Amino acid sequence: MAEQGWGSVPYVAEQFRRFYASRAERVKAPPEIKQREFGFLSFGGRSMFRHIAFDDVNQLRSHLAENTPAHAYYSAAYYSAPEAEMEYKGWLGADLVFDIDADHIDTPCKADHDRWRCRACGEEGTGRAPERCPSCGKAAFEEETWLCDRCLEAAKYEAQKLLDILIQDFGFSPGELEVNFSGNRGYHVHVRSPHVRGLGQLARREIVDYIMGIGIKPEYQGLSSRMRGGPPSLLEDGWRGRSVKALYDYINDATPDAIKALKLGRATTANLLEHRDKILRLLMERHPSSIVRYVDPKALERLMEAAVKEQASAIDTVVTTDVHRLIRLPNTLHGKTGWLAQTVAIDDLEDYDPLASAIAFTDGTERVYVRRAPRFRIGDETYGPFEEERVELPLAAALFLLCKKAARVER
Amino acid sequence: MISEREAAKYPFLKGAVSLVETLSLKVDDLADPSYSRVLDRGEQRVSEAILEGIVSASLGDALTEMLSFPVAVMFVTVVGDRFLDRRYALAEAVRVYELLKGESETRIARMAREEFGWNLRLIRRELDGQIYRFELHFTDYLRNAASFHEDKWKLVNRVMRDGYVLLTRVEAARLIQVEVEDLIRKRVSKHGRIALPDAVQERVDRVAKLFEEHRARIGGEELPSEVVSDAFPPCIRHAFEGLMSGRRASHMERFALTSFLVNAGMDLDRIVQLFVSVTDFDEQLTRYQIEHIAGLRGSRTRYTPPTCATMRTHGVCYNPDRLCKRIKHPLTYYRIKIRDFKKKGEGRPAE
Repeated sequence: MAEQGWGSVPYVAEQFRRFYASRAERVKAPPEIKQREFGFLSFGGRSMFRHIAFDDVNQLRSHLAENTPAHAYYSAAYYSAPEAEMEYKGWLGADLVFDIDADHIDTPCKADHDRWRCRACGEEGTGRAPERCPSCGKAAFEEETWLCDRCLEAAKYEAQKLLDILIQDFGFSPGELEVNFSGNRGYHVHVRSPHVRGLGQLARREIVDYIMGIGIKPEYQGLSSRMRGGPPSLLEDGWRGRSVKALYDYINDATPDAIKALKLGRATTANLLEHRDKILRLLMERHPSSIVRYVDPKALERLMEAAVKEQASAIDTVVTTDVHRLIRLPNTLHGKTGWLAQTVAIDDLEDYDPLASAIAFTDGTERVYVRRAPRFRIGDETYGPFEEERVELPLAAALFLLCKKAARVER
Repeated sequence: MISEREAAKYPFLKGAVSLVETLSLKVDDLADPSYSRVLDRGEQRVSEAILEGIVSASLGDALTEMLSFPVAVMFVTVVGDRFLDRRYALAEAVRVYELLKGESETRIARMAREEFGWNLRLIRRELDGQIYRFELHFTDYLRNAASFHEDKWKLVNRVMRDGYVLLTRVEAARLIQVEVEDLIRKRVSKHGRIALPDAVQERVDRVAKLFEEHRARIGGEELPSEVVSDAFPPCIRHAFEGLMSGRRASHMERFALTSFLVNAGMDLDRIVQLFVSVTDFDEQLTRYQIEHIAGLRGSRTRYTPPTCATMRTHGVCYNPDRLCKRIKHPLTYYRIKIRDFKKKGEGRPAE
């Protein structure tokens, strides 16, 4: 075989083809498949093949086996004519979907495994790309993102918080929820309930704000000088309890420097530092309004905003509010990792390990030349870090590096 | 069967509509002098909407009050202006809100369930000095409250449990107002010309004239053809200056900026140039996307910028100022600023 480019696309495509030839049968139809739009990205292709519809799961499976896409998606929306152009599709409603992506979570490990390179001047750095290149000031970058246990655990933790809110506050039953590992850096949560189908963008935006705690105001959580008396609210349902718990945890855990950094004003800062135990006790034992005399209203708003971040779930705001969104089809391969997107039972999420469960290629090895890769784990084995070296790896590890464009096949 | 008085109070109710239908009134009948009071009151309903923003409740003569509603709806329909549609629907809905505030919980609940299909439970719970009388399923809640501006209506600031949101009696009435507004707006927006008897057409013309006189105040006026960048809201200014300085912007921020500029009337070629000159975007692709937003391609709908609340959700609301507190939409900010500039300009002594 001739020298191939980074990523050895034809080789990866061939592996994907073999996979779908035998395992396309395991792909399940999303509910009401006839009303869904499907979209596929092919290997090497830059544009999405979309506006595709299937009558049943067998058509979908044959399509996967015959076309071997690098990525497979379907619509959260239901349409009367899913194959038509956008304006003639006839939108009937959409599942409520949430996307949690480690990209949006500030995990400290990003500095270890992510890199960027300025397209204009070639300047390089680690971690997330800056707003502007420090060297030339342009804002176009090539980004290299990797993932590790810490990123995946962080994403899972956000998914668990999201599920708690959906079940406890919104009253969805676990049977109405589907959780999928995305096959890369995160999780997708689908809510399928006749109640949510018809929700418009405005309503979905309010749901996003609720889940992220955006726009939360202390006075509507019981923290106002106008209210007095009543029991403590720490253990109450919804944000009323959650926000006070958030305040409690935040005040309890924050270092004096973190408190000062919030710039809450001299009096409030002093109170928080000197009367911390008293304030915590009041939150625990009394109606939350009893702390208002230690924290002025403006400061309280800012303090709560900072505190609720830990209790809120870091979902992608755009995905949930877009009622025409295409989302990855479970049990298909993710072209950027070679792993499976897969459905995880809610009860199993706690112990779910994508780096063991979502591995699609389990047999054989391959020799690759790696230009650079951080240390990574698959199953019980860890590999790398690699730099400019030839290695023979189990197929799953080799494909992972190839899909990340960090290696090429050596023959 | 619904009582005449009930139908007079709430003439949009299914029962009231069928009560009117049993009278099988024809347009030509309205020219008969015996209907002049109905026509008067119908005209008054629309002029109250234009002038006051609220229709009064004149329940002394129940039959006239009931019959004047479909007449007023017909007037608005024939005038055929979507700003008047909105103005009128809102004014009738505010009238209903005022009446509902005096009704019992059971009456409110009955209307909510029977007319608007709400999933609503009667309860009684006291919390922080408020008495909550209803639990409403969050989907019904959001359908009506999601467009509200005040913090207290945000779902995150409500008490919600198992999918149900607590509501006071007055809050429930306020949400029904939104349902009524939607219902009436849908009815009046079916514009169409009807041949009317002269006596009736005269009144339509009067209403149309009154509306034209007050159009500017109500907010149906056009924006100036020149783009006034001094009148940009802080979020758009931030996006605009960011673009000029080559800062990376999110998709949402770029969309907000582009759709704002399109709606503010900036020439598409200028917008394309703006993007191409300061970024390394491909000109053809940029033009395609901007033309899409401007409604020249694809679905042919011109996109309006996101609302303030949407900007906040996506983290692109920056440095809100005092005017921002009063408005819900970046274009409204722009409109008000421009109006202020004009006023100040007019106040200047002539040279």
